[in-house]
Amino acid sequence: MKKFAQVTVMAVALIFITGADNSDQARVNKIGSKIMCTCGCGQMLLQCNHVGCPNSGPMIRQLQANVQKSSSDEDVLKWFRDNWGVTAVVEPASHGFELLAWIMPPAALALGLGLIILVVRNWKRRMVSAAIAGVPVDPQIEAFRSRARRETEL
Amino acid sequence: MPLLGSFCLLFALALALCCFVTGILATRRQDATGIRLGEIARRAGMASFIAVSGAALALMWAALNNDFSVAYIFHHTNRVLPVPYKIAALWSGQEGSLLFWAWLLAGYGFVLRIRHKVDRKLTAMASIIIAGVQIFFLTVVNFAANPFGILDKVPADGAGLNQLLQYPEMVIHPPMLYLGYVGFSVPFAFALAALILRYPGEKWIHITRRWTMVTWLFLTCGIALGSHWAYAVLGWGGYWGWDPVENASLFPWLSGTAFLHSVMMQEKRGMMKIWNVWLIFITFMLTIIGTLLTRSGIISSVHAFAQSSIGEWFWWFLVVVLVFCSFIFFKQRDHLKPENTMESLASRESSFLFNNLLLLGACFTILCGTFFPILSEWVRGYKINVGPPFYNKVFIPVGLILLFLTAVGPLLAWRKTSMGSVIRNFRVPAILALLTAIGLIVFGVRPMHDIAQFFSWLTLTMAMMISATIATEFIRGGRVLQNKLGGTLFGGMYHLTRRNTRRYGGYIVHFGVAVLVMGIAGTAFNLEEEQPMALHAKLQVGRYTLVNQATTQDDTARYESESALLDVYKDGKFITQLAPELRTYKPNDQPDHIVANHSTLPEDLYVVYEGRDSDGSPVIKAHVNRLVAWVWIGVWIVILGTGVALVPNAAQIKSPVTVAEVLAAKQFQPAGVGK
Repeated sequence: MKKFAQVTVMAVALIFITGADNSDQARVNKIGSKIMCTCGCGQMLLQCNHVGCPNSGPMIRQLQANVQKSSSDEDVLKWFRDNWGVTAVVEPASHGFELLAWIMPPAALALGLGLIILVVRNWKRRMVSAAIAGVPVDPQIEAFRSRARRETEL
Repeated sequence: MPLLGSFCLLFALALALCCFVTGILATRRQDATGIRLGEIARRAGMASFIAVSGAALALMWAALNNDFSVAYIFHHTNRVLPVPYKIAALWSGQEGSLLFWAWLLAGYGFVLRIRHKVDRKLTAMASIIIAGVQIFFLTVVNFAANPFGILDKVPADGAGLNQLLQYPEMVIHPPMLYLGYVGFSVPFAFALAALILRYPGEKWIHITRRWTMVTWLFLTCGIALGSHWAYAVLGWGGYWGWDPVENASLFPWLSGTAFLHSVMMQEKRGMMKIWNVWLIFITFMLTIIGTLLTRSGIISSVHAFAQSSIGEWFWWFLVVVLVFCSFIFFKQRDHLKPENTMESLASRESSFLFNNLLLLGACFTILCGTFFPILSEWVRGYKINVGPPFYNKVFIPVGLILLFLTAVGPLLAWRKTSMGSVIRNFRVPAILALLTAIGLIVFGVRPMHDIAQFFSWLTLTMAMMISATIATEFIRGGRVLQNKLGGTLFGGMYHLTRRNTRRYGGYIVHFGVAVLVMGIAGTAFNLEEEQPMALHAKLQVGRYTLVNQATTQDDTARYESESALLDVYKDGKFITQLAPELRTYKPNDQPDHIVANHSTLPEDLYVVYEGRDSDGSPVIKAHVNRLVAWVWIGVWIVILGTGVALVPNAAQIKSPVTVAEVLAAKQFQPAGVGK
């Protein structure tokens, strides 16, 4: 157990020793992956390989310039929304109506989880009340059952 | 021939109507007339397949004979198109693909009706439901999207097929996908029929088990072929773009996967009956939503056909299906009472329950993202696009928990599992997973470097955990049979699989999924470089050096092309020559990238000819895509596992048991007996 704990601590330490990459190029890649080329090719900005694309070149240059100018990723995305239209950014914002897109999936999962817990608790309560009600159980059969469960884990 | 096709379509609709009406009449009479009416309905249903086949063959004949008087043939073929693509024209456009849907549905219906002896009463009711679905599709094909429309003036040549579709995989990708979509109609029909008839027991599940698995397999193959096509043809370096139509194929796949797991709870423990019925209803409706997305043009996608009013037909059909299913469910819901309840959260049942929650959660997430542009347009008046960053952020955590459940689930027993048993069975996989996690960091993976590497690190660790769990299950079971029957451990594992093909086939599928996600995890370590390459210029990407040796141009009947001949060196050593190409197809001047890919198990060198710069030098983009080959290997393993699960179990070999063997068997404590 001690060895296991040591190994875990070492693993966690190793993870945190490594630092995050905040260079401009990394930010361009990160923000660029949230923007779509607006020429109609349907590709992400940094992946657009549409020959002679009139939009992706200028957009990438504007992205690089904005990343140098602004320290906030959200400001860069806002600039693109303002200048290239709201549809240029393909990641919903984390405020206002667009927040709904982020909330709905975890909310549905939480609701489902809650329902499962409710149903399982309800089932358990029913089992307990059936046992309390004193349903006659053949002790021999019950002994066989528990032995079978023990031995086979069925 | 177009006239014959139109006639066949109308005749098929009449036959489907006949099957539906006489089928209903037959269920209301218990006498000899009822039996005769039932037989008429069955034969009419079978004949409808022959009639739709006639229409489909007529359209193919028109394509093969360049009959450009048919508008559909004019829009989707031309004289120089090779024969396989002329046949593929059947599913290349809106009208043709709807005819194809109707044809496959009639085909499934034909098989169902010919196998009516499995259970005459249940099959007769399922046949009526299938006929109802057939009536919808045949009505659409006859009156809203008829593929046999005639042009006033016959053109000399056709417009040609979209060049992106002129790729061998595109000849089989749509049929596979459609076989998957349409196939879910059969378990849906049986589930609804069993509910209408208040059928006792789990017979509908036993009848549809193989149907569902085969359908799921087709859908899996269809999705995988589509991904491979996107990778090989679109030239953006990836295989999954979270395009709305790609997403649409995932809806029924995810809910169908949930169904395949949860039916086991009904079979083994008589639980989750309401859930299973609704799961298959939802899966069927999701196939219709998928078809609606592709056909209506309500969402912009590289797959979507033109904007059309056909979407309204599908919305109304969805409403009818939902209302009818809800009505039948509320009328017959007392028939779906569970026979058992869950006893413990540490059980196989609960792992299936959480697996279902996560699969449906994932499905809902993708549904939200896909329909959010429409929702935002209704609410805000403009579309808010939702792309890969959203899906990656929301879907990956759900996927990781699912992977964890895939690793743990097989170790849990039905009803109840003791903590001691979980720890005992999980020790080896957990240690191996931990070693993998540490090993990955030692070999250069930086989980805190960026979020993509963190998720890849976790995914690779989970993949190892799943593989180890499965391996321990095979080895433990194999050892018991090795002791009993003699021979080798592999022989024991073979016999183990033959005796319970469904369980061990399922494990192979899980292993395939582990391999597949391992391939996906490689995405975090991809590299790419792009630059103009004049003659003898060099491009460095990772350990590869590309040298431009020549550029060539070509002019064929179908397209003009430019390509570069590149020598490829790895660590300074020559390994191969690649020739990425850019084609411009003649009928519509559309460019198409022919990617040059040097694929190895650790990585792909994926080279795209992007065009020419202002100096006339070819612009080359080179990607180093890590572990991609494992994605395709994973798919093959999934196919193999499903194939194994479809094989009937071998008969048990009965031999006298010695005391020593009994003692040996007692050492083996199966983790999840009875799956």
